[in-house]
Amino acid sequence: MHSQQITWNLHAGWNPAIEQPEKVALVFYFGTRDALACGTRYHELRKMFPKAHILGCSTGGQINNSDVSDEDVVAAAIRFDSTRLRLVSRQISGASASWDCGEAIGRELSDDELAGVFLLSDGLNVNGSDLVNGLVSAIGSTVPLTGGLAGDGADFNETLVGGDCAPQPRLVVGVGFYGKAIRIGHGSAGGWDLFGPRRQVTRSAGNILFELDGEPALDLYERYLGPEDSKGLPGSALLFPIQVHDAEQPDSAVVRTVLAVDRDRRSMTFAGDVPQGWTAQLMRGNFDRLAEGAADAARQARAGLRSAKDDHQFSILVSCIGRRLLMGQHVSDETEAAGFELGDETLRLGFYSYGEISPHAKSGICELHNQTMTVTSFAEVGG
Amino acid sequence: MHRLIVKQIAKATDAAGVVDIDALAELVSNAYDEFDRDRRRTDRSMSLMIEEVDVVSRNLEGLVAKRSAELQAQNLRFDIAINNMTQGLLLFDSTSRLIVCNQSYLAMYGLSPEIVKPGIALRDIIAHRKETGAFNGDVDEYCAALSRGLREGKTCHFQTETPDGRTIQIVNKPVASGGWVATHEDITERRRTEAQIRHLAHYDALTDLPNRALFHERLKEELGRIAPNQQLAVLYIDVDEFKSVNDTLGHQAGDELLQSVAASLSSQAGPNEFIARLGGDEFAIMQTAIGNQAEIIGLVTRVFEAIRTPFECFGHHVTTDASVGIAVAPKHGTDLDQILKNADLAMYAAKSAGRRTWRFFEPAMDARVKARRMLEMDIRQALLDGTFEVYYQPCVSLEDNKITGCEALVRWRHPDRGMISPADFIPVAEETGLINELGEWVLNTACKDAMTWPGDFKLAVNVSPVQFKSGTLALKIAAALAASRLPPRRLELEITEAVLIRDDDAALAVLHQLRALGVRIALDDFGTGYSSLSYLQRFPFDKIKIDRCFVNDLATQGGSSIVQAVVNIAAARDMMTLAEGVETSEQRESLRALGCSEMQGFLFSRPVPAADILRMLQSGPKKAA
Repeated sequence: MHSQQITWNLHAGWNPAIEQPEKVALVFYFGTRDALACGTRYHELRKMFPKAHILGCSTGGQINNSDVSDEDVVAAAIRFDSTRLRLVSRQISGASASWDCGEAIGRELSDDELAGVFLLSDGLNVNGSDLVNGLVSAIGSTVPLTGGLAGDGADFNETLVGGDCAPQPRLVVGVGFYGKAIRIGHGSAGGWDLFGPRRQVTRSAGNILFELDGEPALDLYERYLGPEDSKGLPGSALLFPIQVHDAEQPDSAVVRTVLAVDRDRRSMTFAGDVPQGWTAQLMRGNFDRLAEGAADAARQARAGLRSAKDDHQFSILVSCIGRRLLMGQHVSDETEAAGFELGDETLRLGFYSYGEISPHAKSGICELHNQTMTVTSFAEVGG
Repeated sequence: MHRLIVKQIAKATDAAGVVDIDALAELVSNAYDEFDRDRRRTDRSMSLMIEEVDVVSRNLEGLVAKRSAELQAQNLRFDIAINNMTQGLLLFDSTSRLIVCNQSYLAMYGLSPEIVKPGIALRDIIAHRKETGAFNGDVDEYCAALSRGLREGKTCHFQTETPDGRTIQIVNKPVASGGWVATHEDITERRRTEAQIRHLAHYDALTDLPNRALFHERLKEELGRIAPNQQLAVLYIDVDEFKSVNDTLGHQAGDELLQSVAASLSSQAGPNEFIARLGGDEFAIMQTAIGNQAEIIGLVTRVFEAIRTPFECFGHHVTTDASVGIAVAPKHGTDLDQILKNADLAMYAAKSAGRRTWRFFEPAMDARVKARRMLEMDIRQALLDGTFEVYYQPCVSLEDNKITGCEALVRWRHPDRGMISPADFIPVAEETGLINELGEWVLNTACKDAMTWPGDFKLAVNVSPVQFKSGTLALKIAAALAASRLPPRRLELEITEAVLIRDDDAALAVLHQLRALGVRIALDDFGTGYSSLSYLQRFPFDKIKIDRCFVNDLATQGGSSIVQAVVNIAAARDMMTLAEGVETSEQRESLRALGCSEMQGFLFSRPVPAADILRMLQSGPKKAA
C-alpha cells in the first residue's frame, strides 16, 4: 500500500504531482462546501486518477497531518497491492430513511472477504444512528465500520458527499475493503468532562429531545450558552455536548451533538437517538483533555492495526465540529496529539464532521458518535 | 515561547520569511478573544452549575428531611407497636447481636435498659439475666443449644421459670436475613387456667373431692395392679336424709351438708384411701393394699363416725347417717364396671335393709335387683295392657251391721306368675313413680264402678305419699269426679302418716284443697308409724282407720286400751273410727263395746271383684252374722 497527500488552493491548484497516478485505486478528499459545491475539484481529481474510486465530502475544517485549514482542499491518493475495493452510493430522502439506506449499502458491500467499510454520509438529512445500525445489520457486527457525517462549518445549512461523482446533498457513500492483506485499526475518544447534575430525558421522540427533567431542553441550553452564544444555535450548542445512557446500563453511554433547534417547539434535534427515560448529563471541554482524547483515539487505532511498524500506514481522522468550535486556534493541539501517537511517517488526512462513525471503545459495537475524535488507520501486509 | 504564538508567527510568515505584522496581530487578537470567550463560558457554566447543584442539593436536603421525618414517624409507630405488646420481643442479627428489644422483655425479667441495648451479644444478655436472677441455667450451654438449633434453621422453643414463680415460654425463630426473632410470653395465667380446667374436669366443684371420672380413672389403675394377697375395696356411700335436709332447709343447707360430709370423710381418710363424690348424695371411697377384712370394717366404722357427727346449719342441728355398700376386688370382680355395679348393689341392699347400715356385696343381691327390674317392666306392660283390676272390700257399720261403703284395692293377676301381692309391687311402683299412673287408673275405675252401685255407698280409695307430692292430686281427683259424676261426698281418700311426716305445711295445704272439693279424708293404718297425735290436732280427718295389729291384740291383756284411747280422741274431735282386719265375732263385739264406728275384714267379706260387690250391694242390706 502506498499513500500520498495532495492539496488544492486557490492560488496553486493541486500540489504536488502524484507518482503513477494510473495505479491509484482510492482517493479521499475533503473541503469546505464552497470549495466543493461546483464539482470542479472532483472532475480534476477524476482526470488525474481515472481508475480510482474517488470519495469525499464537505467539512467543518480539513485536517492535513497536524494542520487544520479552512481554505485548502486536502486529498490522499492510495495505491493497494492486493486489496480489492467496492464503492456504493445511495441517495437518502430524509432521516426516516436512514436505516433502509444503511442496510441497502451494507447488502451491496457484503462479501465473504469484506474486511472493513469506510462511510461518508450527508450530515443533516440523516439519523446517523439508524444509518449505522442498518448497515451493521447487513455486514455484521464483526466487520469494522468507520467514517463520518459531512459538515458545513458552523452553518448547518447543507452538506455534500460524493462517491465517484460530484459532491451533492443527500448522498451516502460507502467503500468496502476486501481481502486478507488489508489491516484496519480504529479508535474513538472524546475527552469531554461531564458536569452539572444528572438529568432525566422526560420527553423525546427518536433523535428529537423535548424535555430534560420536565424543562424544555432548549431553555436549558440557552441558559448555559448565554445571550451571545445562543445566537449561534444550533452550532453553539456543540459547546455543551450531552452524554446519554440507559440508567440501567451506564457502560452504554454515548455523546450526542446537536444538528438543529426548533425555537417554537423548544426542541433540539441530535445526530443520534436520545431515548426517553434515559439519563442525560451536560459536558464541557477543556483544551488539554480534548487533545488527550484525540491521542487516546489514535493509540486505540494504532493498537488495533496489528501491522508491522515499518509497513506503510495511512490514517483518516474524523473529529467533531464541536471540538473545533470550542478550541479555536488551539484545535491543532488535538491533531498534533494524534499525530504524535500515530507517528510523523503516517499520512494523516481528515475533517471536522457532524458525526463520527466507529466501533464503541468499550462495547465494540459500531455506533454513531458525536464530539469525538475517531481515527481509522489502514495498512496492507504480505504485499 | 508559547506553542500557539509559534504557530501564529509561522502562519503570518510568508515564503520569503517576512512576517505580516497585521496578520499576526489579528491572530493574536483572535486568540485573546477566544480565551476571553472560553473564560466567560466557563464562568457562566460554572456558576449555573453551582446554582443547579445548589437546587438539587436543597431538593435532596428536603427529600432527606421528609424521608427522615417519615422514618422517624415509622420508628415511633414501630416503637409504640412493639412496646405495647404483652410479649417480650427481641431481634438478633446473624452475629447474635441485638438489633431491637421491647420494653415488655426488660420488664418481664427486670433487666436494665442500660445493659440490654442494640449491639449487645446474646451471651451478655443471658449473663445479665443470670445476674438479676432471671435465668437459672448454664449461660454457655443455653447459648450453644440455641445457636445449634438456629443454625439448622429450626424454631427453638424453651420454657423458663422466673424466681417469682412465673412461667415464660420462649420461641426463637430464624429470619431470612440470617438472624432470629425471639418472643417471650408469660404463660403463667394460661397454665393456671389450664390446670384449673384440668382440675374442674376431675374434681367436684362443691366439695373439691375427686369426681366420678377421676374415681373411675384411679380405680381402673388400681384394679390393674392389685398385689397378690392384697385386696381393694370400693365403698359406695349414700347419705341418708340428704333429700329431707334439701327439701326442708333448702339447697344451701343441702350443699353445706354435703361439704361437711366431704370434709369429715376426708379427715378420716388414710393414705390408702381415695375419696370421691360421685354426684348428688353419693360418695365413694377406694381402699387399696388391704391385708384383711378387718381393715375394711375399720374404714366403714370411721366413715359412719364421720357421717354421724352432727353439724350446725342455719341454726339447725342436723344429724345424718348413711347406707354403705362394699365390693371387694378381686373377690367380687376385677373389672371396673363390675366392681362399681356390685358396690352399688351392696349399697342398695343396705338401703333396703332400712338404711343407716352397711352391706358387703353378695351374689344374691344381683338376682334381687334383676327381679325388681323385671317387675318394674311388667308393671309398665300391665298398665299398657290394662291387666290390673280393682277389688272392693265392704266397710260395715258396727251400729247396725249395714254396709256403709267399700274400699277399692288394686289387684294384679300376672300372666305368668298369677296373683302378685300389692306388698310386692306397690313399693316398686312408688319407687319408680309408676304409682301416679296406677293410682289415677284405680281412682277413675273405682269412681266409675261406684256410679253403678245402688244407693249412696261410700267409696274409699288409697292415695300414696308419692301421689300426694306430685302437686296435681287435687286436680286429678276433681277430674275423676267430673268424669264419673260421682258426688264428692261419696268419695273418701285414705292417706297414711307418711304423707304428713315430711312437708307438713305443703301436705296440709293439699289436704285442705281436697277437703274443699267436698271429699272425705281418712287417716289410714293409724298406729303403725309415728302415730303422732299432733296429726289429729293439725287436720280434722273424717275418719281414723285403726290398724289390724291393734284388732289382733284386743284379746290380750290390756290389748283394748290403745283402741279405746283412739276411739275417745276421735269421738272428741267428731271423727269416725274404722277397725281393720276384723276376723272374729269376738273382735267385732269388743270393738262395738269400745265405741268404734265401723269395721272391715274377712269376718264380713274379703275384697271381691267389681261384679261381686255390685251383686252384694244390689242384694240389699246384708247384715253381718
